[in-house]
Amino acid sequence: MTAVQTRIPVADAPAEPNRLRRGLPRIVAVAVVLVLAAAPLFLAPFATTTLTRIVVFALFAVSLDLLVGITGLPSLGHAAYFGAGAYAAGWVSINVTAEAPVPLLVGAATGAVAAALTGWITVRTGGVFFLMLTLAIGETVQQLANTWEDATGGANGLTGVPSVRLAGEPLVNAGYLYWYVLAIGVVGFALVWLVARSPWGAALRGIRDNEPRMRALGYPTAVYKYAVFVLAGSVAGVAGSLLVAQQRLVTPADLSFLTSSFALLAVVIGGAGSLWGACLGAAVVVLVRETLGASLDGHGPLVLGLVFVLVVYLLPRGAAGLRWPRRDKGRST
Amino acid sequence: MADQPILTRRRLLSLFGAAATLPVLSACGSSVGGGDTGSGGSGGGGGGTVKVGLVVPQSGVYAALGTDLQRGWELWLQQNGGKFGDYTVETVIADEGEGPPTGVPAVQKVLQSDGVDVVVGLVNSATALGVKDTLTEAKKLLIVTNAGAEDVTRAQRTPYIWRSSFTNGQIAAAMGTHLASSGFKDGVYLIAPDYAAGKEVIAGFTSAFEAGGGTVLASATTPFGTTTDYQPFLTGIQQAGAKATFCFYSGAEAIAFVKQYQQFGLSSTIPLYGSGFLTEGSVLKQQADAALGVQTTLHYSDQIDNPANKAFVEAYKGAYGGESPSCFSVQSYDAANVLNRALASATALDGDALSTALGGIGTVDDSPRGPWEFENQTPKQNIYLRKVENVEGVLVNAIVQDLGPQSQPAA
Amino acid sequence: MLVSVLNGFAIGFLLFILAVGLSLVFGMMDVLNLAHGALFLGGAYLGAALAGSWGGFLAALAVAAVAGLAAGALLSLMTEPLRNRSHLDQALLTLGVAFVAAEALIIVFGDDPLSVPAPPGLDGSVTVLGATYPTYRLVLIGVGAVLAIVVHVVVERTRIGALVRATVADREMVAALGVDNRLVKVVVFGVGSLLATTAGVLGGPIYGARPGLDATVLILALVVVVIGGLGSVRGALLGALIIGQVDTLGRLLLPELASFVLFAALALVLVLRPQGILGGAGARAR
Repeated sequence: MTAVQTRIPVADAPAEPNRLRRGLPRIVAVAVVLVLAAAPLFLAPFATTTLTRIVVFALFAVSLDLLVGITGLPSLGHAAYFGAGAYAAGWVSINVTAEAPVPLLVGAATGAVAAALTGWITVRTGGVFFLMLTLAIGETVQQLANTWEDATGGANGLTGVPSVRLAGEPLVNAGYLYWYVLAIGVVGFALVWLVARSPWGAALRGIRDNEPRMRALGYPTAVYKYAVFVLAGSVAGVAGSLLVAQQRLVTPADLSFLTSSFALLAVVIGGAGSLWGACLGAAVVVLVRETLGASLDGHGPLVLGLVFVLVVYLLPRGAAGLRWPRRDKGRST
Repeated sequence: MADQPILTRRRLLSLFGAAATLPVLSACGSSVGGGDTGSGGSGGGGGGTVKVGLVVPQSGVYAALGTDLQRGWELWLQQNGGKFGDYTVETVIADEGEGPPTGVPAVQKVLQSDGVDVVVGLVNSATALGVKDTLTEAKKLLIVTNAGAEDVTRAQRTPYIWRSSFTNGQIAAAMGTHLASSGFKDGVYLIAPDYAAGKEVIAGFTSAFEAGGGTVLASATTPFGTTTDYQPFLTGIQQAGAKATFCFYSGAEAIAFVKQYQQFGLSSTIPLYGSGFLTEGSVLKQQADAALGVQTTLHYSDQIDNPANKAFVEAYKGAYGGESPSCFSVQSYDAANVLNRALASATALDGDALSTALGGIGTVDDSPRGPWEFENQTPKQNIYLRKVENVEGVLVNAIVQDLGPQSQPAA
Repeated sequence: MLVSVLNGFAIGFLLFILAVGLSLVFGMMDVLNLAHGALFLGGAYLGAALAGSWGGFLAALAVAAVAGLAAGALLSLMTEPLRNRSHLDQALLTLGVAFVAAEALIIVFGDDPLSVPAPPGLDGSVTVLGATYPTYRLVLIGVGAVLAIVVHVVVERTRIGALVRATVADREMVAALGVDNRLVKVVVFGVGSLLATTAGVLGGPIYGARPGLDATVLILALVVVVIGGLGSVRGALLGALIIGQVDTLGRLLLPELASFVLFAALALVLVLRPQGILGGAGARAR
């Protein structure tokens, strides 16, 4: 169980890539963003709406990957912060203003506060205990959403959320809304990516690979874990506010265990620790969920279950593991 | 079911942007220009086809309801040659799933991708409330065939959403009035699950009961969807000294509550009353003899004695292997019925024209549930007091009394 | 009031039978088996399909036991290749299995909720402490207590139990002593799963059988294990009995907080004693 990695984790950043390998991902990244930005010019509204859902879910999955893949904190209840951000953004849109940065900031703040309140219990634990605790927290928060009708609308959900407004103009058009969601999504992704690339991110990877060693090196690992938990909650809250902007409603199902497990599936399909992989995984999950919903006589979960099993066996490093050869073996947590 | 492969392929194509090959979507190859978020639709070709999106649960805990809803809809069409007047009906089925995360995209899909003219269905109240903006912006009509939340036709009412089913409070209010006038002015204990519908039922019952001069003894809410052991609450009912219990449960919770109500010895001393879903459909068979004597109110029972219902029950049993229809079957059967009536006078297939036409159809006089009419876009209908009885070895909801027409309760 | 205490014991013993397997499998293998709830549901559906007579009820128990044993052994073999992978991978595998198993049960038994009859003679009610109480639940308390004692004695007093406990404490050491701990794992996983399916049959007359029940009981079992402390039989028993009381007495005394008492109890324990009431310090780190 003990990790046998002896090198100092800070050196985990990509080691001496040649010029092509350093340049190519950047070109690809820019190209992907450009294609995504141009998509609504060619796609029909329903396809654009689906793409919007994918971007929202991708940002949520990326925030989870920060915990699961980068830091090695496997959360089963991350939808709690996604949902908390969504409810807060929805509530403020209805009762105060739907003017652009406001729901976003409120969502981010609520996600962060919710994570800060619960994180101090969870980060003190690790491994299976962490799995169970996050699951229990997720269930409790969902119960709260079901019961606290004055704020959340209870089981009927928070409905009648107005469109997000940008400089006073409501974003009703599917294409404009998509651009708004995409812009925030790209900024959020970039933020998480920068964090993962920073020395702090390297330290988080170190905690993932060998926490006692990091502690011995003088890193305050508990503080690091707590901080990243709050950050992940905050990014999930931003994704939640985008969810509200897109579907204009929030229900307890948005913070259910199922939502959490779909996000995990996205992370695992993409390869834990690979942020772009999480985005790819999110796209696969949303598409599979929407296309398989009506077929198979409603036995979609059967397929999802099989996907889980197959991915765990066949793609131990997710889609990200398909392209690059393994750098190290036997990573453990 | 037969059209599902086409459905899936079409959806896939549209998702991957190959949509331009499809006539429905080529009308709108970009999502940006103009404010129109709906697709072209297939309407406008007068007297041709009306395309209906039937969005009902095919998966999840409500799948059984979805089956009944689909059967009711298909039975009406089958009996009427698949036509609304001159229009040929083309039905596109989509899976509502358990809640809004699947239900809302399903509605968007039939509207935007399949280009339907009318949406019919929805079991879940949150989904029905959540699609309001989608329909309003697309200017299409939705007939809700189950979701009983008051807000659908009250606080969140829009001309584009009508309902052929019931409201939670409507059914409970009829029981409230009845109990207040039948010797239970005090000592009635209320119990329901801790979520929106449960609270609406308690509110609907309480206001009608108090208007009739009754006083509620106490009320309790039980954890929703996570418990089927009611012992602590049953003990609470006994300790409070209740003379009667009124409850709202459905599905697995209804089975457990009714059985335990008997096992813990309450049924012999404290009569159990409930909203009709307590003993409706397949749960009754599972409750078995524990349900005997339970009285409920609902807008339908397959035991209603009128010619329309007799014919309906017979046709339904004939079509679906002897299974009796439930209130859900009638709700979608009537949705087809009112759409047919509306199309006789509608000038177009858009939501505004259909909404106006629905407002003018008057009394629906050939429904299995008895005559009813739209009032604020939801049925004003007779509510029946029913009692579970054993008729020749089969448990049925026998009609005790017609409690007369009941409106949706005011806020 | 006293009836609620009594009922708390019925629920508590049922939860113990359910949760002890989860706890041991975790303690031994570091595997969080999220398919544990699906095992319970499988047992409940078997009860719904077969029970109604004594023969049927016992047959359901026997089939559930064999099926549980087989399912547990299979799960054990399935997690074996993931031995050196993260907790998450193992949890995800079992989550995938849970999805597949729950859907398979729905395909076989339909999606209508089913009730499970108690065996004849036990399906009535008796008067206890001045209140009417279902006979079956009284018997369940007895059966549960006996099972709890048996499991406890086997784990704490026998040679096999010693091996199990030793494996929980230090897997490598046991392997070094020449014991094939894969076999120990298969057996513990199998017996733990057997107890879960048995709990499903036994719990059927109380909880019924329905889609979604697997998730509900999984959460209950997790709460029990977390409160009691991981990997310990006594912890599971204590946790189960506490949750049994919280779930009944707590709801009777605080009906307006009924939806939250379970998690409130969990939060309280975690704040005061994060490793669980009987959990050792070792349970924390990983």
